[in-house]
Amino acid sequence: MKSKRPLPVLWILVIVGLAVLPFVTPGTYVIGVMCFVAFYATLACGMAVLLEQAGLFSLAAPTFFGLGAYVAGILAAREILPPWAGIIVAAVVVAAIAYVIGAPLLRLRGYYLACATFGLLFIVEIALAQSGEITGGHDGLIGIPPLSVFGFTLRGDLHYYFVSWGFCLGCLWFFFNLMSSRVGRAVRALHDSEIAASTVSINVARCKLHVFVLTAVMASVAGSLYCFYLQFTTPSMFGFPLLVELFTMIVIGGATTLYGPVLGAVVLIWLREAIHVYLKGILPKLTAEVDAVFFGVLIVAILIFMPEGLAGGLDRLAHFGRRLLGKSA
Amino acid sequence: MASQPDSVLLDVQNLSRSFAGIHALNVVSFSVEPGRITSVIGPNGAGKSTLINVITGVYTPDSGGISFAGKNIAALPAHVVASKGIARTFQLEELFSSMTVIENAMTGCHGKSRSGMLACGFALPSARREEKRIHDEAMECLTMVGLEEKASEPISRLPLGERKLVGIARALCMKPSFLMLDEPAGGLAGHEVERLVGLIHSLLEQGLTILLVEHNMPFVMSLSEKIVVLDAGVKIAEGPPETVKNDERVIKAYLGQEL
Repeated sequence: MKSKRPLPVLWILVIVGLAVLPFVTPGTYVIGVMCFVAFYATLACGMAVLLEQAGLFSLAAPTFFGLGAYVAGILAAREILPPWAGIIVAAVVVAAIAYVIGAPLLRLRGYYLACATFGLLFIVEIALAQSGEITGGHDGLIGIPPLSVFGFTLRGDLHYYFVSWGFCLGCLWFFFNLMSSRVGRAVRALHDSEIAASTVSINVARCKLHVFVLTAVMASVAGSLYCFYLQFTTPSMFGFPLLVELFTMIVIGGATTLYGPVLGAVVLIWLREAIHVYLKGILPKLTAEVDAVFFGVLIVAILIFMPEGLAGGLDRLAHFGRRLLGKSA
Repeated sequence: MASQPDSVLLDVQNLSRSFAGIHALNVVSFSVEPGRITSVIGPNGAGKSTLINVITGVYTPDSGGISFAGKNIAALPAHVVASKGIARTFQLEELFSSMTVIENAMTGCHGKSRSGMLACGFALPSARREEKRIHDEAMECLTMVGLEEKASEPISRLPLGERKLVGIARALCMKPSFLMLDEPAGGLAGHEVERLVGLIHSLLEQGLTILLVEHNMPFVMSLSEKIVVLDAGVKIAEGPPETVKNDERVIKAYLGQEL
């Protein structure tokens, strides 16, 4: 039920909408914001798969995002590898790290896994900040070249808009396929009953590890693309605030559907933009505070009135609509 | 007959398992002959469910041996035991509550399918073909238990009796040679029990070996060829229904009344 494919019509509408967007909006502002939306949406989507589908309370998404950004960024900035090769090397490195730390960490359940991955978040952020000679420390890594593939260099928001959304929708499509397959059923079985899963031949430990590594690699590639887009990274970009951001997206969008977190990312980032533009005029000094209060209230409201998020609400609406149509027909 | 190795499918030898000092199983030995139905009965807390959990590898035994088809399976992880052709149902269902009826059955096919994460994620033709095969097999098993019309219902919408049947369908999808049913008749209405008896008979005809753990006495007595009686983790009797029914220790420990 949860992993039911959305109608192909819906896919086409979204893709056409996204493809047309740059040409109907003036300037690069909208496209620039949409790049961030795509990166965050990819991350939130992978994190929601772990949380909601596999029942793994992992908070490691920002960590793998950051590692992917730094590994690819360092390799490219020091001209060790071309950017595109850096993305692949970063993905392999992050996969190896996720594999090695996942094997012991995923034996932990529920909140204990959350605590351990939360610790990892701080360890990596501090390590990146303290190894200044390699990473540039607190000041950040500079001198990252733009992404170039086969002599074609991606410059400007428009190019990265297409790459980031292409990757985001690709990941979403991958998850839709995966979750309605035997591997996806095994992942969802973990969430419902590990004992029953193991008695139908599902290797629980291996299945957890595989889905953990999969989302880590996706986060890593998103991170690498992110660093080439910004051409600059700092350790604090991959810390606690990003984690809170991702959680907010997941809560707003709803984790029971795969596209919920993507919806959450779109809504959260655009609401914030709107608030900032609006507040700059009337309360220039209190923007950050009002922002925090607004999103606090929004989360509480969503949890009360739409516990399954916007996507869950839409699903119910669609169901209701279909029943109405069915009755009248 | 039972002592000949080729006529024993499951051989449990001196099996013990305790939890915090309580002997849930205390040196229990018995055997299951292939193609037959063997029942395990006993009062609450006798260790019946623990027995199934130890055989399937959900718990590891403290001591003792379990051999299945001549191979030692004691202390193997549960997913390895399952891959040897041992399927089970649960007393408390343990179905995958977020899935539909057919998806639950399809998880049973996991061990006999191979598509990896990338093949599935990219929807490669090989993965799609396998998915179709899994779907068809699951549908067959649902038809066997008579739930083919409820295939796309979410589990939560099914009444208890049908949920128990989904558990059996999921186990049958594993194509097992040995099926353990943990209180399949518990909580079922009379006509549902009759349907279950019919199903068990047809499974036996297909050559399946069955171990039945049950409370419902008339159900056990009518079905079983051999009954093992547990009380407080100890085996107190073993034999055909007629012998067990008249065993004094059984009457005293478990029944407390004439049957």
